[in-house]
Amino acid sequence: MIKGLKSTAVGLTTMAFMAGAAFANPYAEYEGTTLIVNFPAHPHYNAAMKVLPEFTKETGIEVEVDQLPYLKMRERQTLELAQEEGEYDLIGYVVFSKADYVFADQLENLAKYFMNPKLADPSYDAADLIDGYVENIGVAGGTKGYLPGKTGSLFGIPFGSETSVLAYRKDIFEKHGIAEPETYDQLLDAACKIPELEPGMGGMASRAASGHQASHAFLLHLAPLGGRVFDEAWNPIINNAAGVEAANALKTIVDCGPEGAMSFGPSEAANAFSNGDAAMFMDSIAFMPGFEDPERSSVAGKVGYAMHPEGVRRGSQTGGFGIAIPKNAENKEAAFLLMQWLTSKKGDLMVAMEGGNPSRFSTYQDPGLNEKYPFSATFGEALKYADPDWRPIIPVWGKINADIGTTMSKVLTEDLDIQEALDGVAERTRAVMEDAGYYTWQ
Amino acid sequence: MQRSTANRLTPYMFMAPAIVIMALALMYPLGYMIWGSFRDWNPSQTIGEAEFVGLKNYITLWGDPNFHESLGVTLKFAFFVVTIEMVLGVGLALLLDRDIRGISVLRTMFILPMMIAPVVVGLMWRYMYHPTVGTFNRTLDSLGIPRVDWLGDYALMSIIIADIWQWTPFIFILSLAALQSLPRSALEAARIDGATPWQQIIHIKLPLMMPVLIVTALLRLIDAFKVLEVILVMTEGGPGLSTEILALRISRTATEFRELGVAAAMSNYLLILLLLLTVAMFAFNRWQETRAARVQALVEEDD
Repeated sequence: MIKGLKSTAVGLTTMAFMAGAAFANPYAEYEGTTLIVNFPAHPHYNAAMKVLPEFTKETGIEVEVDQLPYLKMRERQTLELAQEEGEYDLIGYVVFSKADYVFADQLENLAKYFMNPKLADPSYDAADLIDGYVENIGVAGGTKGYLPGKTGSLFGIPFGSETSVLAYRKDIFEKHGIAEPETYDQLLDAACKIPELEPGMGGMASRAASGHQASHAFLLHLAPLGGRVFDEAWNPIINNAAGVEAANALKTIVDCGPEGAMSFGPSEAANAFSNGDAAMFMDSIAFMPGFEDPERSSVAGKVGYAMHPEGVRRGSQTGGFGIAIPKNAENKEAAFLLMQWLTSKKGDLMVAMEGGNPSRFSTYQDPGLNEKYPFSATFGEALKYADPDWRPIIPVWGKINADIGTTMSKVLTEDLDIQEALDGVAERTRAVMEDAGYYTWQ
Repeated sequence: MQRSTANRLTPYMFMAPAIVIMALALMYPLGYMIWGSFRDWNPSQTIGEAEFVGLKNYITLWGDPNFHESLGVTLKFAFFVVTIEMVLGVGLALLLDRDIRGISVLRTMFILPMMIAPVVVGLMWRYMYHPTVGTFNRTLDSLGIPRVDWLGDYALMSIIIADIWQWTPFIFILSLAALQSLPRSALEAARIDGATPWQQIIHIKLPLMMPVLIVTALLRLIDAFKVLEVILVMTEGGPGLSTEILALRISRTATEFRELGVAAAMSNYLLILLLLLTVAMFAFNRWQETRAARVQALVEEDD
């Protein structure tokens, strides 16, 4: 019996050695480690959780997931990252947390992991990662502090990121001979023509509810129309001509939109589109797979997808989530291996096939994915124009965002004069920025 | 000597556990909040790392138009909600304080709304107010009346209606309990003297119920200042700031703006306001009681 065991052991060791000589297993050292990760409740992360067993099978590293609604997740992380020893090895973070976490020095700089030959996979192909996403979600410390640049470095990798595309009713557009909107003029024109041509149907469904939603909707138009919230010296320029034009665009869209559009959140806007109450919907790609599901949508098969229309430039949103390793994590190296595996070509495709949002250009070109989700190629194309700077990611953004959002809501509901409203925002924003020390060098 | 000291200390020893628990559970968090309100504190910092800024948070708030608007909304909301609920609740109690068949079933049904979780109430009303598929607008449609944008143009009124629906029963059951414990002799005497039902209500029932009604109103008032979930689900404070009551603004300041110090200062303002209201109400009650006692004493003297 003992002899038998011994010979088995010898056999196994020999095999292990032989395997080691032929093909070193980079995961061997971390086999049996249990990683604790914190993910948001989000379709992309639900998809990711379906492929995690595959990771465990391949590497022997166990993964325990703590999944929370994303606002709760942010609160939890804020507390957890400030501890001496944290509970999480890997976190999914929402894009505007980048500013807070990096500023508070709570995330690992990823350079030392990508430099480590034992950890970094040479076939990772970082060039294939979608530029706009990496710049928006992953990098900090360059231009303006929150963008890439010569002084910037990488703190996270986009995972579950999103951009904006335009979904429209092919049947309605064809019926009335309206062309697929490529510019903002065409978009706004179509938005207000449709309610006249199709009584009872709104032009475009957009989020517009007070606060974050209205601000998001406004910024969505601001970048393509040539505007920005700040100039290079942090002076608020939200009230310039482009800002007024963007606010006008939003007002036109909401006025010509489906009934009750002023209080829509994103999912209500998406519902209005999938119920056939609106002919267009322009928002995150995360909503699009839902339109093709005949059980939840009455417009399945009738939807065309186009790039976010062009104003004076192309500039679709970038946002969503990334993954990063907290400074106070216990198993940082194993966490890096998981991060690398999930965002590798293979991992990214697996997650995408389960319904996640790809982080790589190559995934969008994959024939298998295009067969399952026919709009993938369009999205891949749209992502080349994703604008990493469509909204600033600075620690005081939450407050400015809320101000823009409530002011926009007043513009939409109380007919506040747009120029006056934006002047007010600019003035209050200046005070917030002054307070936060952005004008120290002026 | 020693025994008398021990005797003197006994009551304090018995009270000690309660005091310790009070101090830990109530005073510590309160103190923490007050301490935090003097700091420029963001949630990524521990309280020790946050910079001490004295009264800056309070002064900023004092001049902040958004805070003023929010305070205004809160006062308006609380005033309408409590007044209408008191009238309806007490009215219902007076109506239902009799022996009708099936009254107990009716009473149980009346208090159902307050047993529903606030988030569910919010969702329910949000769907009922929905501009196209909501119950209200579809009813209006079928009657041929133009639709109303409930959560857009009449957002504050809409949340007031929802709150009245949910909390009138609370006042109803407390008033009913008060009514049923009134001394029957006084009512009987009034009846024999020929008081009409209205006279009975105004001169006997309501004055006798007053102490209970004041406490009830106070409880509702405190609650109305703190209501959060229903409004959060229904309007998220919009449109504009038209339904952003203080509790919602505090929560947004802490999580969205990440200014814990300011949020704490705002909570303290709310606390002070509630304390003042409570003291005022009790003082009013006390004044009424002493006045009643004096009147009674005079009446007895006359006898």
